[in-house]
Amino acid sequence: MDVVKLDEIQISALKEISEAADAEALETLRIKYLGKKGILADLTGSISSVPNHQKKEYGTKLNEIKETILGEFVQKGSMFAFGIPAISGLEKGLPGNPPKIGHLHVITQAIREIVDIFRPLGFTRTRYPEIEWEYFAFDALNMDRDHPARDEWETFFVDAPESKEYGKMVITPHTSSGQVREMLKGELPIRMLNISRCGRRQVTVKHLPTFFQFEGLVVDEGINITHLKGVLNYFVKNFFGDNREIRLRPYDFRFTEPSFEVDISCDLCHGKGCRFCKEGWVELGGAGMVHPNVLKSGGIDPEKYSGFAFGWGVERTYMMKAGTQIDDIRHIFANDIRFLEQF
Amino acid sequence: MNILIPDSWLRDLIRTSAKPKDISKALSLHAFSVEKTIECDDGDVVYEIEITPNRGDALSIMGIARELVAILPDKGFSAEWIKKPAEKFKEVDENPLTVEIMEDDLVPRFSAVVLKDIISKPSPDLVASRLEKVGIRALNAVVDMTNYLMIETGQPMHIFDYDKIKGHKMVVRQSHKGEKLITLDGVERTLPAGVIVIEDGEGRLIDLCGIMGCKNSEVDENTTKALFFVQIYNPVRIRKASMTLGHRTDAALRFEKGVDFEGVLPGLYAGVEMLAAEVGSKIASKLTDIAERPKGISEVYLDHERIKKIAGTGIDNTVIENTLGLLGFEVLGNGNVRVPSWRFRDILIPEDLAEEVIRVYGYYNLKDNLLTGEIPAKKEDKRFYWEDKAKDFLRFNGLYECYTNSATTETLAGDEALGIANPLSQDLSHLRTSLVPQLLEVMDKNKGSSGVTGFFEMSAVYLPVDGDLPDQPMHLALVTRGMPYRDLKGIVESMLLELGIKDDFTFEIETGLDDVLYLETDFDKISALAKFSKTYTSISRFNSIKEDLTFVIPEGVTYDQIRATILLCDNRITKLSFKDFYNNAMTLSIEYLDKDAQVSSQDTQEIRAKIFIQLEKSLKVSLKS
Repeated sequence: MDVVKLDEIQISALKEISEAADAEALETLRIKYLGKKGILADLTGSISSVPNHQKKEYGTKLNEIKETILGEFVQKGSMFAFGIPAISGLEKGLPGNPPKIGHLHVITQAIREIVDIFRPLGFTRTRYPEIEWEYFAFDALNMDRDHPARDEWETFFVDAPESKEYGKMVITPHTSSGQVREMLKGELPIRMLNISRCGRRQVTVKHLPTFFQFEGLVVDEGINITHLKGVLNYFVKNFFGDNREIRLRPYDFRFTEPSFEVDISCDLCHGKGCRFCKEGWVELGGAGMVHPNVLKSGGIDPEKYSGFAFGWGVERTYMMKAGTQIDDIRHIFANDIRFLEQF
Repeated sequence: MNILIPDSWLRDLIRTSAKPKDISKALSLHAFSVEKTIECDDGDVVYEIEITPNRGDALSIMGIARELVAILPDKGFSAEWIKKPAEKFKEVDENPLTVEIMEDDLVPRFSAVVLKDIISKPSPDLVASRLEKVGIRALNAVVDMTNYLMIETGQPMHIFDYDKIKGHKMVVRQSHKGEKLITLDGVERTLPAGVIVIEDGEGRLIDLCGIMGCKNSEVDENTTKALFFVQIYNPVRIRKASMTLGHRTDAALRFEKGVDFEGVLPGLYAGVEMLAAEVGSKIASKLTDIAERPKGISEVYLDHERIKKIAGTGIDNTVIENTLGLLGFEVLGNGNVRVPSWRFRDILIPEDLAEEVIRVYGYYNLKDNLLTGEIPAKKEDKRFYWEDKAKDFLRFNGLYECYTNSATTETLAGDEALGIANPLSQDLSHLRTSLVPQLLEVMDKNKGSSGVTGFFEMSAVYLPVDGDLPDQPMHLALVTRGMPYRDLKGIVESMLLELGIKDDFTFEIETGLDDVLYLETDFDKISALAKFSKTYTSISRFNSIKEDLTFVIPEGVTYDQIRATILLCDNRITKLSFKDFYNNAMTLSIEYLDKDAQVSSQDTQEIRAKIFIQLEKSLKVSLKS
């Protein structure tokens, strides 16, 4: 007889007690364990066969077990005495009845996650018009009349009279149209997170005519590229995970100078290069230091203030998260319940 | 746009110790993304490189070589220029060419020369194989030369049969709407107005400028005299014409991004030299070079301190100036730099110089810093909070959230809806004024799923406003199938209560076919009414008396009327709720409580009597006997 054996006896006793369905069954068990010729009495009797150096430990343990088992009998017994029903072991093993719960759309979930990451850095969420003037979508952003993005094959124009001041009406092709609107509020410094629906004339595996973007804009004294790198790295580590890295590549956007394309290390090959990525990197989106002409459009002195901005697709960013495995952006707006309920 | 650059061709222009993988990495991090490297059978490597729209100057072997000469030395590799420019030829006055340019802005630079003793023969193997590596099919030495030099220098070129140009005269002008021509690919194209074209002495159109030559002036196997032609066209006109005609040629893609004004004559000389070597052609005219509006020389202020401020780190002045020098800028005595001719469209302000210096320095060499400084004292827009709260509530009551397109068909968008001037399809031609129609479509699409199903969407709708942007309120719409009317109403009422809204918001549930119910509300209005504050009423130490009363309700009388009437009867009536409804009888649960005394059975009778009298008097509602 040893101490390990005592533990096993306690476990089986407690299990049987918890499964006892009525007072009668409980009494049978009491006799089995605590009766004069019960298992515990037996164990007390066999103390003599325990080696001397273990006798003390054995005795102590045995007393503990007796008390525990007795306690369970008393509790269960009083339940039966008060008529409190017991749940049978079979029922306990069945699955619970789930409440009927619906689902939040992937986009809503992604937006919440993004907002929660930027909030501690002092960013405040905003929203600007989805149907916007050309002026805010382009001119104020240093995109002159002849810029290719303004051609009708990229931007949706609204069939409405032109404004003398602000030009044509468009479906805003990017959240950057909120930049100058935010600046014109005249409150500095700025840490804006603008999340809004946008539209472009496009349908591919990665692009849809309607989509969401999130746009960060920081304007303050002394803002430089290291701040842009720091904030984007913070976002990436929090959103994608500690093991993902970013890199900046030179790029070209009219409203930032310098401009960058931000890449994230590939989740599949971790930067070594594979067939899903470009030499170990995947494109995340654009960013850059706010162009002085954009600051001027917003009534801000570019000699005194500087800033950075980035604007990325909500759906696209979420799709790049490890494990989502959404292979086609079109699922996201298909609203098939079999898709929705997976998120 | 992506270009293909064979490594062996690059090494014709520069000598470097960098291996292909070093070149690929350096370009990606400091200049342009190398999307792919392709290994060829002959051991050569071809880089596929994405060139950003501002860098038309880099759409060539020469452009990439110029970048590498600036980038590689700092990474520990040697890189020096070895290609010698072609020399100017000796002009002769044998074959005339009359040129008329109708408007200055069509063709800022026009150069041409006549070549004789042209013979038709294939290109040497090296030329043919290089063209193949960049995706161009070799035809004959004359045509291949123009393609080869376009890839090498970035300057598109064209060659005409000199004798097919009637009167040896060229008039460069804008097209008239509806004019027709047949391009080299044999396709007849009808032109819109404003396209740059050339007509000859007989008024025939012989060139779709900057996009593709015309069949009627093509070089063929009988050609002996050719007009070799190197131009710069107005980039905006080329882009618009090429997009409108749906004909995106390599030449058009380069012209529309801007071609080096100073590269025209070197390109022409190189072509003359190459053809002389390959087919033995000779110069047979004077050089035509019309530069109406010289461009390409500009100066930008070099602000060393600004560059360091943008980088957020100290970079030595000598490093700054040396980097710019390697990129082709000339540091002048007046504090400015002279921008190289191939970058004149792209480098305009001191910040542009900062980008050049810092990208070569390496973005990866800069630190990652979180923001310091003052946190904006801004109150968050509470709408987001209420929207999230409502969405969570609906979700935990079994509804599925959707997002549908902001545009739909004209019919579904609603009366007065704004149209899209250039829709992708008629299915998405108008901006919606209501969310419900598309949610009903979602419901229909999911009819295979069993049981009670409900969907909701929270999105903006677009309500036209005269002379201004549309009103764009956030709407909330719900659609259910198989849900009892009062269950849906209860969900919405409870949601409003959850947002702290009691009686001051009304909504209407509509019924549809197949057990469908739907409603739509202006959620901005809900957000405006929503509140956190709850008011505490002291808890009475006396017990309340509850009783159920059943009334007979005449037609036209509503629950709300009855409720309001009863609550006004006595201030000891503290709660009233609906319990049941059967035929015309309605059972209500009423609770009486006096905070200063226990409500006695006598009090109850007194209050009850007031209720009966008031209901009878104002609504003709009586107790069911």
